[in-house]
Amino acid sequence: MTTESDARDELIDLAADFYDQFADGEIPEMTLPTRTKSNIEYDTESGVWTYGDRTSTRSANSVRGARKLLKAAYTIEFLAEQLDEDRSSTLRELYYLSESWDNDEAQFSSQDESNDLVEDLEIVTGVTREDFHMRPEESGATLMGPLLIREQTRRGEREIHCQEDVGAGGYQIPNNPDMIEFLDDDIDFALAVETGGMRDRLVENGFDEEYNCLVIHLKGQPARATRRITKRVHDELDVPIAVFADGDPWSYRIYGSVAYGSIKSAHLSKYLATPEAQFVGIQPEDIVEYDLPSDPLSDSDVNALESELEDPRFQTDYWEEQIELQLDIGKKSEQQSLASRGLDFVTDTYLPERLDAMGVL
Amino acid sequence: MTSFQSTIGDEEGIAEELAEGQREISIAEFFEKNKHMLGFDSGARGLVTAVKEAVDNALDATEEAGVLPDIYIEIEEVGDYYRLVIEDNGPGITKEQLPKVFGKLLYGSRFHAREQSRGQQGIGISAAVLYSQLTSGQPAKITSRPKGQSRAQYFELIIDTDTNEPEIKADEETTWDRPHGTRIELEMEANMRARNQLHDYVKHTAVVNPHARLELREPGLDEPLKFERATDELPAETKEIRPHPHGVELGALIKMLEATESYSVSGFLQGEFTRVGKKTADSVIDNFRDVYYGRELAWSPPRAHDDRDVANAVADAVANKGAEATTAFAEGVAETVSNSDRLSRSELATIVDNIAETVEGDTGKTFGGTVRENAVDAAWRAITGAGGEDDDGADDDEDGATESPLVADAYALVDDATSTRKDDAAVRAMAEALARRFENLDGDAFRATLDDLERLVADAASFVAEQHDATFGETARENVVEAFWSRARTVPDDPPKVKSIAGSRDAAADLLEAMRTTDILAPPTDCLAPITEELVEAGLRKEYDADFYAAATRDAEVHGGDPFIVEAGIAYGGEIPAEGSVELLRFANRVPLVYQRGACATTDVIKNIGWRNYGLDQPGGSGLPNGPAVISIHVASTNVPFTSESKDALANVPEIEDEIELAVREAARELKSFLNKRRSMQQRREKQDVLGRILPEMADKVSEVTGRSRPDIDGALARIMNNVSVEREVTDETVTLVVENHSDVNEQLEITDIVSSEPTDLSDGTVVDMDGEWFVQWKPEVPSGDERELTYAIDGDADFEVSVGGVETEKLTVNA
Repeated sequence: MTTESDARDELIDLAADFYDQFADGEIPEMTLPTRTKSNIEYDTESGVWTYGDRTSTRSANSVRGARKLLKAAYTIEFLAEQLDEDRSSTLRELYYLSESWDNDEAQFSSQDESNDLVEDLEIVTGVTREDFHMRPEESGATLMGPLLIREQTRRGEREIHCQEDVGAGGYQIPNNPDMIEFLDDDIDFALAVETGGMRDRLVENGFDEEYNCLVIHLKGQPARATRRITKRVHDELDVPIAVFADGDPWSYRIYGSVAYGSIKSAHLSKYLATPEAQFVGIQPEDIVEYDLPSDPLSDSDVNALESELEDPRFQTDYWEEQIELQLDIGKKSEQQSLASRGLDFVTDTYLPERLDAMGVL
Repeated sequence: MTSFQSTIGDEEGIAEELAEGQREISIAEFFEKNKHMLGFDSGARGLVTAVKEAVDNALDATEEAGVLPDIYIEIEEVGDYYRLVIEDNGPGITKEQLPKVFGKLLYGSRFHAREQSRGQQGIGISAAVLYSQLTSGQPAKITSRPKGQSRAQYFELIIDTDTNEPEIKADEETTWDRPHGTRIELEMEANMRARNQLHDYVKHTAVVNPHARLELREPGLDEPLKFERATDELPAETKEIRPHPHGVELGALIKMLEATESYSVSGFLQGEFTRVGKKTADSVIDNFRDVYYGRELAWSPPRAHDDRDVANAVADAVANKGAEATTAFAEGVAETVSNSDRLSRSELATIVDNIAETVEGDTGKTFGGTVRENAVDAAWRAITGAGGEDDDGADDDEDGATESPLVADAYALVDDATSTRKDDAAVRAMAEALARRFENLDGDAFRATLDDLERLVADAASFVAEQHDATFGETARENVVEAFWSRARTVPDDPPKVKSIAGSRDAAADLLEAMRTTDILAPPTDCLAPITEELVEAGLRKEYDADFYAAATRDAEVHGGDPFIVEAGIAYGGEIPAEGSVELLRFANRVPLVYQRGACATTDVIKNIGWRNYGLDQPGGSGLPNGPAVISIHVASTNVPFTSESKDALANVPEIEDEIELAVREAARELKSFLNKRRSMQQRREKQDVLGRILPEMADKVSEVTGRSRPDIDGALARIMNNVSVEREVTDETVTLVVENHSDVNEQLEITDIVSSEPTDLSDGTVVDMDGEWFVQWKPEVPSGDERELTYAIDGDADFEVSVGGVETEKLTVNA
């Protein structure tokens, strides 16, 4: 892990590269791995997906490229100052802050643009944005289960038990999960749950207590902090991770980003992805087997499934079989559809059966 | 006939009754009924047409006299009427001719001439006179001063509408300040609603006649509109040409045949038509013979040992010439005959004549006409089995034992001409059927026209189809006809004399067909006076303030025997309004066409060109393009095909449309490359503007962040812009200009450095002293990606001023 002054030095070095390019009469540029689906590769050593060898160059050769680099120069200055002052800000704040810059050309036209730029800087400098003190807007996961942690907050250290010291909502992890330390636990496995409704159902039914399970609420597409804490739970507590999501293509992507890393942050896959995580369901197979209430696949669902078939992350026998089955039956089901068999069906029957089959229980 | 008709039915005297209603139509009535055709359908349009006719005449007259036109047009309101005055500086019109020129419809010098001129019909100006007199009751007032005369002649005249003759109301001598020229004054019922068309007409006339000076005054103008001349060069003088053989019609040809003084067809053709010399006349006559007389079919002579013995036949036919001469003659004929591949009867006759002459020379025996004729008959019979006494013999029976010698020949040709899959029996049947039909032709020379031959082959084919159930399809029949026709010989007969052709409509039609089927050079083009590329452009340049001009003049082409030339010009940008569709200027023989744009072939062609390819906006990909452009099209011809007598729109003649398209595309290609270049220069400028702002700011920011001083970014900038950079380095007493070429092409530069103290030790280049300032000049060629150093030495301080040429300013970064 880099230190704050390391992070600052990396940024200044990048600015110095631009300076030298100017001074040599060359066109300033920065080279990045190409961030597309076709340029991610499976890293056999770590078992995660990272960027391949293809690169793209942001060059001042064109008006677009020059604007990007100008924005980069301004952002470098801002981040360096922020680190100097030991403050932090959110990605959204950076976007609005650019409005205050004295140069119209340097202002971001959308938040996607500022987010992308911060990711570019992460990649080029090898420093994570958490170390730039940049926070995402959305909050990370909540945890519920037999785990005792210590969190380093701006207001001092706190020791928290994620079952006994928290309300029904569970423990809210901080934006930088590396600020917490695992003290003690009684966890047999962790279950990462996509939707709030299902998480609440598990807690209400006492699933965490009954099975010594850490329930991680993913809150849809998981934030980086969520993925990081999931990886730490797996690596440091040595427990299996199971992902429980809806039975549709978007939810498979949620699983994919937990297990294999996302395309946009493939440079951080080794730090964020948990390749050992397993998918519980809802599987297309379950829709058939449990005869779950379902909706027909929309056109965009079909496109997403087909695109997943081409996604290198999903090119395993298991996923090809499941996705082809789903395309075949043309149906999708939500986690909550299990309620059609009664409110306790999920905790009494479905999860025990599935987890047993997966070898988690 | 009349008496017969008048007794039809019981009513008497119908014809007489009808006759009472039949009378000569007066010219005034004719005009009244047809004034729309002549361009006088309304008061607004009548005024424009009158101006147009008068100005066209004035331009024709001045050019013919070799005078640069100087034309004055004035329109005045006079009570309820408008008065129109047109003055020119032409050669004037003689006192005798003047009344007829202005006071008689269909009187003119142009109608019969094949020469490019504005007026063609002799209607225009007299129609204007008639219109004026019919609407205002006033006579036309005409002043003309022929060149070299001290006084001018003044006429007032009206047209007698019953007789179509001028009626002179006043005729007196007068003084006029112009040294020569003509002035016409007409009063007419009119209005100025067509002011735009009037202005367009005058302006466009100026565009297309850059050698003319025009001035227009009319009530709506505070200042007269003046159009100055752009060139002192008169259009090339045009020559009148005779008609081209491909451009006459049957009626015209018969008239020419009747009128000519030539006796022979060859003389007639050479004397009355353009592009016809002896050789061309001969080819026309050969074609004419084929059409008129038909060809003689030619047959293979018997080979040696054949039982058809030419020598014996000839010998038998000759009597009383002695054995020696007879044998020499007979064998001579037989040998020559057997040496030729195929023979027609005429060719045989020639051979016989030749041999007879030779034998006469050798033996002193005379072979007279009758002997020769007998010999030809006999030999021909031996070759073809035709003619003479055999005609009514039993040999010709269709199932007779002796087969006609023609059959073998016909068989070979038919077999050759038809596909190999044809049944042998069918081919033989066809050959036999053909041979029989050939034998039945009139005379024994086997003469047939192509039509006859086609009919004959078709007939034989249907006979064969009936009798032998073998079809000879259309292609097979055509091939057979072609096989016989191409082996048939043009007859040596003299063509009929001109007089007899003139007297026979069929013969004249045959001659016309022969003329049309003969390849003849395109008519000469000195009867045309194109404006020329330079002057098309100069005309546009004069009247339109644009950023870009292009013009193209095509080579002459022919339509219906009349030569024509198409020219096109394009002006783009500048002050030309960008809204709406482009302005289309149409000209025919240097006359602007103002009305009926939609009916004009030029408009059709423009609409069908894909203008997006050439960088103009064209909604929907067809139709008139939009944008700040003027397209002008000029068609010059000895006979411009108009859609109507009022000469407003070109007819859709494919040859002319093709040329218009090619001319316009030629000019449009230049427009395209101009627009592409301008677009890329504009993009380059924009890029330069933006990067010129962004990169210094970026440099500032990185120097701020790194805490270093601001870097020099000119090198990076020049490289980004693919530019040529010129940078000055001065060390002690040496001045160096470093020229770097970052572009992807080699650059040929012209660099001038103005120095305030004397430069020495130049690295090539030249230096010129100009009153204490020194101009140092280099012309380096710098390859793409390379650099050059230009150096000189100075003594002490100096001021410099460098200028760089040979490269667009957008591509140049100078830091010196």
